[in-house]
Amino acid sequence: MLNTPMTQGSSKSDVFDVVVVGAGAGGGTMSRVMAGKGAKVALLEAGPKLVPEEEFKEHDWPYHYDHRGAGPGGAGYFGRGKPFGFMRTTSGGWELPDEPYTIGAGSEFVWFRSRIVGGRTNHYGRMSFRLSEWDLKARDRDGVGPNWPVGYVDLAPYYDKAEKFIGVTGTHEGIPSAPDGVFHEPPPPKAHELLVQTTGKKLGIPFIANRRAVITRSINGRAACHYCGQCGRGCLTASAYSASQVDVFPALKTGNLTLLTDAMAREVLTNASGKAEGVLYIDRNTRQVKRVLGKAVVLAASTCESARILLNSKSKLFPNGLANGSGMVGRNLMDTVGLSVSGYVPALEGMPVYNTDGFGSSHLYAPWWGYNDHAKLGFPRGYHIEFGGGFRMPGVHSGHNAARRAGYGKRIKEWMRQEYGARVGFAGRGEMIPNRFSYCEIDPAIVDDWGIPVLRFHFKFSDYEWKQARHMEETFKGIIETLGGRVTGVGNAWEKSGISIGGSIIHEVGTARMGTDPRSSVLNPYCQAHEVKNLFVTDGSCFVTNPDKNPTLTINALSWRAADYLAEAMRKGDV
Amino acid sequence: MSDSSLLQVDDVSRRDALRRIALALTAVGARSLDLASAQQVHHAARSASPSGVYKAKFLNPHEYRTVARLAELIVPADERGGSAVDAGSPQFIDVLCSENEQLGRIYSGGLGWFDAWMRQHYDTSFIDATEQQQTEMLDAIVAVEEAGQESEVDSELGPGIRFFDWIRKMSVDAYYSSEIGIKDLRYQGNGAYSEYTVPKEALDFIKPLL
Repeated sequence: MLNTPMTQGSSKSDVFDVVVVGAGAGGGTMSRVMAGKGAKVALLEAGPKLVPEEEFKEHDWPYHYDHRGAGPGGAGYFGRGKPFGFMRTTSGGWELPDEPYTIGAGSEFVWFRSRIVGGRTNHYGRMSFRLSEWDLKARDRDGVGPNWPVGYVDLAPYYDKAEKFIGVTGTHEGIPSAPDGVFHEPPPPKAHELLVQTTGKKLGIPFIANRRAVITRSINGRAACHYCGQCGRGCLTASAYSASQVDVFPALKTGNLTLLTDAMAREVLTNASGKAEGVLYIDRNTRQVKRVLGKAVVLAASTCESARILLNSKSKLFPNGLANGSGMVGRNLMDTVGLSVSGYVPALEGMPVYNTDGFGSSHLYAPWWGYNDHAKLGFPRGYHIEFGGGFRMPGVHSGHNAARRAGYGKRIKEWMRQEYGARVGFAGRGEMIPNRFSYCEIDPAIVDDWGIPVLRFHFKFSDYEWKQARHMEETFKGIIETLGGRVTGVGNAWEKSGISIGGSIIHEVGTARMGTDPRSSVLNPYCQAHEVKNLFVTDGSCFVTNPDKNPTLTINALSWRAADYLAEAMRKGDV
Repeated sequence: MSDSSLLQVDDVSRRDALRRIALALTAVGARSLDLASAQQVHHAARSASPSGVYKAKFLNPHEYRTVARLAELIVPADERGGSAVDAGSPQFIDVLCSENEQLGRIYSGGLGWFDAWMRQHYDTSFIDATEQQQTEMLDAIVAVEEAGQESEVDSELGPGIRFFDWIRKMSVDAYYSSEIGIKDLRYQGNGAYSEYTVPKEALDFIKPLL
């Protein structure tokens, strides 16, 4: 990759049309769309290349490894090793030794980074939900938080495009808070899910077909899902969407995309007139500082990383960081509200064992149902329910609970058989309202191993989120009890206080929000910086609020929309 | 414990072979597998069988036999599956101890404590004690453990309780991460299918509850 243009001595022809930072959902979409339009694109990725056939453990069994999935040296027993387990295709984690971050006094926040082509889309949950008008203009209804500068009518065509291209399952339901889309046929509900659905009806909670970025019929040369259920390990057939396999690899075939891996972006370079002219990055392999030039720069490095790059891009013209005249870069940091409750349902004991892995997650979910009830609920915004159950792949940790209860001996196996498939778990994923206590900024005292100043996080949930989390808890307990089951646990390791730790749901958004007013927003409704016309930010940082819809699909849609806008602006000579 | 059911550590090379299958199937230029190829890879992954004889890397022969005996007591064989030893528990533990000093110390110390207790009570080592003496010791440990943390604090069995928890969870893990343990539970997933259906038996089972 050393044959790419470097500034020193570079000629006009070495200038790309677009320099994109970050090969995840936002940067992958932007690169694919722009390269497809004939633009010469340079895509910087802070991590290495991805070779799915070598990296993905989709079909592996625990006994293929002498450590059985506990990780080399049994790292998993000591709380070390790969996040979410050895088999997951997570490249990165909560702590990267060479890239620290700090936390402000009194705050708690965790930041998951995947440094690899495709980023977090290689392993994410693939939940794909559209924002609704109800979400985008929520302030009009309840007076809380800001409105988005775009309405559903603006986004719908791009949700259509994104869903058609990526492939998302679902059914047409006509629920106002959960707009229908262009769907692949979803797999049928599993037996225990039918029971949950029936129970939901009794409680007024609608469980409908899950909407996930998994294709159930072949499109664009990608095979239909083969129901191995191991999406989190990476999908060798690319039936589950990943930006690497679905956006970046095909875009490379156009010949218009140059992929620069192990390229750690430090700052956006600007010229004397305040236009972006490229990106300064550090080549991780050589530790050399390099530049790549472009007529336009698109940041999609992930919500907090893009804010970090902007804040570190200081110059005479932009003393507070690039495009930060509003002071909003890094502000309005939001994550999703999470709370889970697990239970045991004796009625499920003895069900004939069958393949419940399906398409890798529950085949049903419950969109927010209480959208007309907020006045009496006491919190302004809703959540959806994701849930699990069934006969999961046994492995390390499966038997700990039964073993501890049994002491030792034959009873362990007997209980394991009896209880197999009778456990359920419900997780709420709710909207957080942006607040002034939640933001990231540059920590002036610390740089990472690459010499780049690091982020310091401040984070606080307000009563809105806490009340919502209590509603989740009561609702899930109610479902389990109505199932005739007993509650076995409230809150996972991240939720001991009764609400998820900020950042732990990995839905962080909001740090360069869009808006119509340059005094209170960083970007315009097309993800274009108010202050720098040839600079765009197309990851989750452009979000104005963080509705209960997992953000990736909206990032895909907004990035595609920004790409169309950018291409048109370039054609007209505006950028 | 039969040699044929031992899971061996040359799994790494076999895994590489599977990777090569996957790579070969995609070598044509497509960046993803089709269903038939996916079925082939999933099938190859399931049917691959281990071979060879394991040579301990960390535990001495006495310790290795003790770990095996404990594994057998913790997860004994029954009509639906073999024991934790058949599932390769001693090798699993030995490999991890050889890779992790902290874990190695837990096992050296814990096994030493087990022998010391047996010597004090019956003038023998754990492995040479009778089955009755062995289960008496484990029953004592489990009884204190069940009584809860407070009783553990001052119990002379404390180190034994803590070590037993380690070897118990790792023996159980060895079993449920093995081919025989996974078969015991009749897990059906991680395959490759052209469509997803819920079998009639499962639907019939759930019907009266709906």
